[in-house]
Amino acid sequence: MMRRVANLAVFLIAILLCYGMQTTKPHYADLTGPIPAYGAISNTVHTRTFDIGVDKVVFARTLKFDQFGKQKLLTTGGVWAIVTANLAATKDSAMVAAATWRGPDGLSYRASERASLATGGLPMALDPGVPAKTRMVFEILPSQADEAMLLVSGKLFAPLDSEARIALGPVALQADGMPEGTVETYELGKTF
Amino acid sequence: MSIATQGTRNERTVTEQRWWLRSLLALIVLIPAALAVMSYDSVKTLLGNQDFFAQDVAWKSKARFGGSEWQLTDLRAALGRSDIPPDLVPILVDFTVTVGEPDLQKLWLGCRIMLIDAADRHWLPTGAVSFRQADDAKTCVSAMFSGAKSGDTLKVRETFLVPKDATATIRPAVSVGSERPSFLLFQRPQD
Amino acid sequence: MFGGVGSKLKAWILGGIGTFAALAVGGALGAFDTLEKPVVVLGPGQPIETGPWKVKPLRAYTVDKGIYGLPLKAGEKAIVFEAEMTNRTALSSKNYFTTFQPGGTEDKPFVVLVRDATMSPALQPGLPERMAYVWAVPTGAVPPERFVVAVNGKIHKQRDNLYGVPGWYNEHLIGTVAMTVGVGPDTPDAKP
Repeated sequence: MMRRVANLAVFLIAILLCYGMQTTKPHYADLTGPIPAYGAISNTVHTRTFDIGVDKVVFARTLKFDQFGKQKLLTTGGVWAIVTANLAATKDSAMVAAATWRGPDGLSYRASERASLATGGLPMALDPGVPAKTRMVFEILPSQADEAMLLVSGKLFAPLDSEARIALGPVALQADGMPEGTVETYELGKTF
Repeated sequence: MSIATQGTRNERTVTEQRWWLRSLLALIVLIPAALAVMSYDSVKTLLGNQDFFAQDVAWKSKARFGGSEWQLTDLRAALGRSDIPPDLVPILVDFTVTVGEPDLQKLWLGCRIMLIDAADRHWLPTGAVSFRQADDAKTCVSAMFSGAKSGDTLKVRETFLVPKDATATIRPAVSVGSERPSFLLFQRPQD
Repeated sequence: MFGGVGSKLKAWILGGIGTFAALAVGGALGAFDTLEKPVVVLGPGQPIETGPWKVKPLRAYTVDKGIYGLPLKAGEKAIVFEAEMTNRTALSSKNYFTTFQPGGTEDKPFVVLVRDATMSPALQPGLPERMAYVWAVPTGAVPPERFVVAVNGKIHKQRDNLYGVPGWYNEHLIGTVAMTVGVGPDTPDAKP
């Protein structure tokens, strides 16, 4: 009798253990995902291949830039977020190719392709000792401006490679629902 | 099964003992062998992407690499460009390559011409500066697709952008897919 | 139950019952799958949830001149289908090429952002955009008076069967929507 009870107990424990392991098993996508290097807007983040320091974040209702000699005005149903950052290669020449704006609700906005032809966009090749500057443009929901995280990596899919994750800090919303300090038009000029 | 039930459980026969030992030895050999076989492809891929073993090439001498003869002919700074910050220097590197085996697209796959300085920093060719080419110099990739035949001489030139502090120690290096993980590391021009 | 029978026979009988049960369940499931389901007819101008997208079919019309930056040779015609699309996922996406499929053609459409004629940009989470799907009409063919498109949806899987990564899979038909085909880009939007 005792033996039976003990067997049953062992069996139940095994089931529980298996179930626990199954539910807590890390996702394959997480296991092979990028390796985050965290930082804040005021400091420089070091990844395996490059260093990045966010210079400033500007919000705008419309963007203006020259494309093939013609002036283009980009409107949006949300708001444009323009992030300028300083980049440097660590030891070898490196590429920086992907940037994502992750809002407080986890919504992830890839750098907009609509503005990809403007100067300073990614992808960008970096050389050691040669300072570089990038200007990333995102089209986001105004509600995703506050406490956002900027994700920058060397490749669009960077399994098991480091990815800079920069906390961009609090942003208050104006009465009209736009982020504080939103400008009417931001010009994506040749210099920035 | 039958042996175990017949004899005492704790004692092994001499034959058993011998086989037990043999199995143990076999495991010691087989486990590392299995690991080696399984990781062979990964290791090959890893080595095929890395430049590990430098092959020094003296100034003015030629080296056979990727089926062709490579010789460094020039390493010079291009000064006087107003659009480049004063602490950065564009560097031009010229090679003379005598084609041996003509299948360049296969032998030179993933061709990488680099500059390496004393601190082991690596520079790849830049797209940020370009110079008008007066002669028929090619880049490594355009040379691959030039259809050069055996015996042809190619002029390969790449442009780099390096900080001024690195110019004193940089050395040109060449790496191609068919030769990795070894690469050519050229001595700086001596005259 | 089978106390009097030999153990071998018992195993055979149990195995047989199991096989038949499995065959019956499999057959029934297969039969349910092949059952002709009535096609859901969706109304123009009404929002439809497809899984990754919320779509609102707005209008369909034919053009004989280029539209939204797409060139059209003289004598050629194209059919344009416009819909408002909102990305319901958490990531910028251009996973919209097969969302609408007209009957009778396997051609991939050109998809254009109506706002500024960008070719197939990724749409940002939560930002509705008006998109135009453009199919070329084969030369000599008469464009139909009613344009019937199948609306396809996908389901979200926490891990897919092949790679174990989360994503949107298993495209399936949600319903069809029949649009009256107008002439030229002045065609008004369908009202629900």
